[in-house]
Amino acid sequence: MLGRFRYGYVAPAALLVAGLLYAPFVWTAYLSLTRYDGLAPAEWVGPANFVKLLDDPVLLTSVRNTLIWVIGTMVLPVGLGLLVAVLSYDIKGGGWYRLPFMLPYALSGAGLALVWSPILSHDGVANNLLGVDTAFLQEAPHNTIAMLLVWTWQQLGVNTLLFVVGLQSIPKEPIEAARLDGASGWQLFRHIIWPLMRPLTAVVVGLALVASLKTFDIVWVLTQGGPGRNSETLAVTMYKETFVASDYGYGSAVAVVLTVVTGLASYLYLRRQVR
Amino acid sequence: MIKEAGNMVRSRVATIGVAAVLLAACGGNGAEAPKQKTELTLYNDKGAWSEYFEQMGALSKQSVGLSMKPTGYTDSAQYQAFIKASFRTNVKPDLFTWQTGGMLAEIVKQKQVADTTAIWQEAVANGDLPQDLAPYFTVDGKQYCVPLNVAYWGMFYNKKIFDEHGLRPPETWDDLVKIADTLKQKDVKAFYHTSVLFSFVWFEQLMAGMDPDLYDRLSTGQAKYTDPGVVAVMRKWKELIDAGYFINPGDKTDPGDVLKNGKAAMVSFGTWFNTSMTQREMKAGEDYGFFVIPNVDASLPKTSMIFESGPLCSLAEAPDPAASAKYLKWWTTAEAQEKWATARGDVSANPKVEIADEALGQVTKDAGSGEYRLVNRYFEATPPPILTAALDGFSKFVTDTSTLQEVLETIQKEADEYWSTHQ
Repeated sequence: MLGRFRYGYVAPAALLVAGLLYAPFVWTAYLSLTRYDGLAPAEWVGPANFVKLLDDPVLLTSVRNTLIWVIGTMVLPVGLGLLVAVLSYDIKGGGWYRLPFMLPYALSGAGLALVWSPILSHDGVANNLLGVDTAFLQEAPHNTIAMLLVWTWQQLGVNTLLFVVGLQSIPKEPIEAARLDGASGWQLFRHIIWPLMRPLTAVVVGLALVASLKTFDIVWVLTQGGPGRNSETLAVTMYKETFVASDYGYGSAVAVVLTVVTGLASYLYLRRQVR
Repeated sequence: MIKEAGNMVRSRVATIGVAAVLLAACGGNGAEAPKQKTELTLYNDKGAWSEYFEQMGALSKQSVGLSMKPTGYTDSAQYQAFIKASFRTNVKPDLFTWQTGGMLAEIVKQKQVADTTAIWQEAVANGDLPQDLAPYFTVDGKQYCVPLNVAYWGMFYNKKIFDEHGLRPPETWDDLVKIADTLKQKDVKAFYHTSVLFSFVWFEQLMAGMDPDLYDRLSTGQAKYTDPGVVAVMRKWKELIDAGYFINPGDKTDPGDVLKNGKAAMVSFGTWFNTSMTQREMKAGEDYGFFVIPNVDASLPKTSMIFESGPLCSLAEAPDPAASAKYLKWWTTAEAQEKWATARGDVSANPKVEIADEALGQVTKDAGSGEYRLVNRYFEATPPPILTAALDGFSKFVTDTSTLQEVLETIQKEADEYWSTHQ
């Protein structure tokens, strides 16, 4: 009886998904093949924007910086998060040790950058405290690394928390059995704990991978991708080309590249992990 | 059976309800007649000026029965994207601020801006607007928008630092360099500059003071950034930076605070920077002063002065075009401009307005009497895609002056691309 109307039930959700998720993506993909300044009608130019991308030194800088963000995120917020989780997991009052790492997570990306701006700027708190004259936010790639450290300060806590949840969900029996067999320390972690945590690690690394590939807010507030575009990430280049230079076609081409890279990286990683 | 029928009715009602909501959301009100408005919304990218816009709204309500509510943005890229998007949607501003030069021409070309030729003719006839200003607001022989503000660029200086070291405002470029040298010996940074947004300030100033004709040709694509004259300007700029006269361009201290705290003795900006002084309760003549920057090339017939004028516009398809036009007309009057200039401590586009600040008042009079060669600000004079590349380039240069040639070549590459389709 209700069969005739079954699409009616699905329609609101389907329309919302199509209108708010698929349509903008298709529109962006279309714009990437045009010359468009946001005012005059878009002019079809075929793959010209993608050809220009290949010859653009700024894109090379953006890709380099984005790679630093991806690798740095894996080593620092994720790697250190795991370390803090493992070291504080099985000790009395471990929660109190982890608490300070959690507090910065309350800040938004833009808020985080605003807090650190006067610390890292020239004549800022960091230079005064250390008694040095370092251009933390000016020279590449130091500025990207400095921002990565700020990002670590914020993200470490939540990764630690996720890893602690992972550690708590591991069944006790295999660990006890391994201990009885004489395993301890690194051996126990490498061969028992780490493999058992694999599903959760896949989620943490997958989320960190996507977040690092689309890094925008912290860079935009702290350096606006500069000076001279030397700290831009792919997401910042996309924003700048689109909204600052009003080159919507070229900005859309960067968006398409970023989407493909993020989708591909996530797919390849998750396919390997969730086999 | 009854239950099934009930379910069916509910499902139909739900489906129809959702469809109705979606239709209502998509349908818009394009066919409606313009509403007669008594309160106008003024969108602007000058978020820091909200209180002054609000004061204007209160005054306009008394004077012409139209109140005005400002919506201020602080990020100009976001602001411009919003205004451009509004051209295609039903969320249209009654009034909005914009930029003269290429950006105004762009939106006029798309037939988005209301023609204000009649307002200009009347205002020029009764002395509320000088004819000299009209070219900045003219596209293809017609005027669009009215002046939101005008500004003359010069040097604001910390008077206490100058007094302490026995310094006086310079008469010549050599005097200015001597001042910078004296301050350097006293361990005081002479000049402010920045790698963010206003990275063009010293480029335009040196261009205007060394070869203003070349500057004009550069703005219209008749000269190249790699031409010897432009390279010479960049070398002069490099010489000043390398001499250690400037604060670090990465310093994020607000320039108003830089001047107030004496981090730098001099800050070059438009007369609108006076508002920053007013907001910091600094007194003209006591805490700070203003002088016109002398030409580097003393043989030029007139001292070049950077000039800017920001437009206040309305859309051709504004919600209530008559109300918007009425407001723009009122904005040019002496009554409105007196309030607008006094509140911000700035100069006015209306020559009838007496400027309270002595130094700024004198500059306005001198500029009006043709004593200076007015040079259009780089921000307005340069087409947007070249401007974007140039701001990034100058930002790189002030951080590392050895990139001089590379920066000029990068800007020229963008200029070549732009002028190949826009001559």
